[in-house]
Amino acid sequence: MEDVKKGSVSDFIMSILLLIFGIALIISSLNMKVFNTFLDAPGFFPMLLGIIFIFLGLMMLISSIRRKGPQQMGHVFGKANLGAFFKHIEFKRVMILIGLMVVYIFGLIGRMHFAIATAIYLFCTMWFLKSTGLVKNIIISVVTSIVISVVFRFVFNIPLP
Amino acid sequence: MEAIFREIALFGGAFMSVFTLTELMVVMMATILGIIVGAIPGLTATMALALLINLTYGMNLNIALAFLLGVYVGAVMGGCYSAIMVNIPGTPSAAATALDGFVLAKRGEGGLAIGTGIVASFFGMLMSILLLIFLTPFLYKIALKFGQWEYFLLSVFGIMICGNLSTGKDPIKGWVVGFLGFFTAMIGLDKIYAYPRFTFGSLELMGGIALIPALIGVFGISEILFVLQEKIPYKIEGNIGRVLPTKKIMKSILPAAIRSGIIGVGIGAVPGAGEDIGAWVSYDIGKRRSKHPELFGKGSYEGLACAETANNAVVGGAMIPLLTLAIPGSPPAAMFLAAIWLHGIKPGPMLPVEQPGFLYRVAILLFFATVFMLVWGLIMAKPMAKILKVKREILMPIIVPLTVIGAFAGGVRGFDIGVMFVFGLIGYVLRKLDYPMAPLVLGIILGPMADVSFRQALMQGQGNLIPLLGRPVGIVLMFAIAFIVVTGIKRAMDYSKEQRELILAQQNSEQSNGN
Repeated sequence: MEDVKKGSVSDFIMSILLLIFGIALIISSLNMKVFNTFLDAPGFFPMLLGIIFIFLGLMMLISSIRRKGPQQMGHVFGKANLGAFFKHIEFKRVMILIGLMVVYIFGLIGRMHFAIATAIYLFCTMWFLKSTGLVKNIIISVVTSIVISVVFRFVFNIPLP
Repeated sequence: MEAIFREIALFGGAFMSVFTLTELMVVMMATILGIIVGAIPGLTATMALALLINLTYGMNLNIALAFLLGVYVGAVMGGCYSAIMVNIPGTPSAAATALDGFVLAKRGEGGLAIGTGIVASFFGMLMSILLLIFLTPFLYKIALKFGQWEYFLLSVFGIMICGNLSTGKDPIKGWVVGFLGFFTAMIGLDKIYAYPRFTFGSLELMGGIALIPALIGVFGISEILFVLQEKIPYKIEGNIGRVLPTKKIMKSILPAAIRSGIIGVGIGAVPGAGEDIGAWVSYDIGKRRSKHPELFGKGSYEGLACAETANNAVVGGAMIPLLTLAIPGSPPAAMFLAAIWLHGIKPGPMLPVEQPGFLYRVAILLFFATVFMLVWGLIMAKPMAKILKVKREILMPIIVPLTVIGAFAGGVRGFDIGVMFVFGLIGYVLRKLDYPMAPLVLGIILGPMADVSFRQALMQGQGNLIPLLGRPVGIVLMFAIAFIVVTGIKRAMDYSKEQRELILAQQNSEQSNGN
């Protein structure tokens, strides 16, 4: 039952986003340069997309209003529900996993050798996931990152970041 | 008569070019790799192909084809092991297989179920390869009649039907995602005037969103997050018993397998509708046509064969629009298309002229992969229980550096890694909200074609739409699009109504509880 409510609310939010996005697309495509005629202007197709997004957004909006999407907003975004959501174990897990990826991709890679960055990332992620024991974790992280680096660099001749 | 001899000569040439020890070894290794990847839940056929595209960059074309097709064929079949032993489809295409397969495994007939699944997959592949060889030349003839206008309509038709089929109940969601794919393809320099669109002055965005990093993000990162978001402990039915299916089973599944093979090829040929949809449609039809529909879902070999034959038949079916019109028939086929583009192959009606025999090369390699799939599939049935015991908490993090390398290798730009990651997050959120991924991918791939062919078609008519509206292929396509729009909107409205009633019923019960 919760899913039905969430569905109508997420559709409601999405429909608003689509409407805004569609309008923004039309405005920005009308601002694009027209070379010969509007027929082959760079903005023509994006403008069409904007119209389609507005149409789809309206369809979704009507559907979500019929499903009482706006009324459910209060419930879904209520303090109790939102608090529960942020404390939810799944949410935390995903956030931390994403955080680890961000550190790996934007923080470590490029600042040190790919193998070292990868080993650190693998160790931390598997440690967080409690995938295996500490010693095994270290062995797996180090060996995998070295194997990956060597295989891709020298066997497949692929540049490493 | 001359044409037939020409084709036979081409076939022979293609056979000679791929029938070497190296190619055979590569196909075999790739098929085994595909089977393992397909069997492990969380590693999907699409993800594997996305990660491997850039690996093939340095290979020669035949080896690259052998490699990718082997993985593709193996992975689609491999999903059946975990569907049967663990009740989790190893790759989405095996979802329908789990319905009957797991029941059979619990009954102690897991081995027979796996054996039947593999033989059914083999049968599906054979049918799809035959249909691929014989149908493709006809489609080339039709494709030659396609002008800019038809290509535009076709790409719109593609994402519309893909959006319609890939969402369970609400086609609007599929369409939104498909058009978002179109939009993604608009970012960067426009293909006619090199005018920057939606680049916000960023030099890197001017190069556009690179296709392969986006694909890796959508199918790699988002899948990893999806698998790791919760801990699902699973139990493996390890003792599977006899694997080779009995004559009695084989006889009982044959009619269903023939029908499912045709259904699979048909669904495969529909743009973007992939292995999973093929299996579900075939299972559904099989249930209605069967003499024992009551057994479906309760351990029916026939049901199992319906799903497994069809999902592999999609593989060959998906190659038909890919080779003739450059429109991939399924998400893994989309990866295959991206890979052969990388090698300078331009599928389309001119392909038989530019690359004579390419169709046969693909078909022969698919056939080799199919044979290896049968043999190794049966050999690996028993050891597979051990492979499935590998913890996903160890395996999935290791995929992350592979996605990074895969995204980076194509353009050697750090920016592409960022693109990959952002698309992974977008994919994850959209999947959480029940949006399908197939239309997004199709949209990104077809976007440039839709944009350019639309504007050029209008220019050819000098703004006059009447000549465009009179073209026969175009008329068919426009009717098809109109049909999809109307039926899709109707389905969306039915869905909305159904949900509304659920909510109203709940409110009523809350009120009566309050009283």
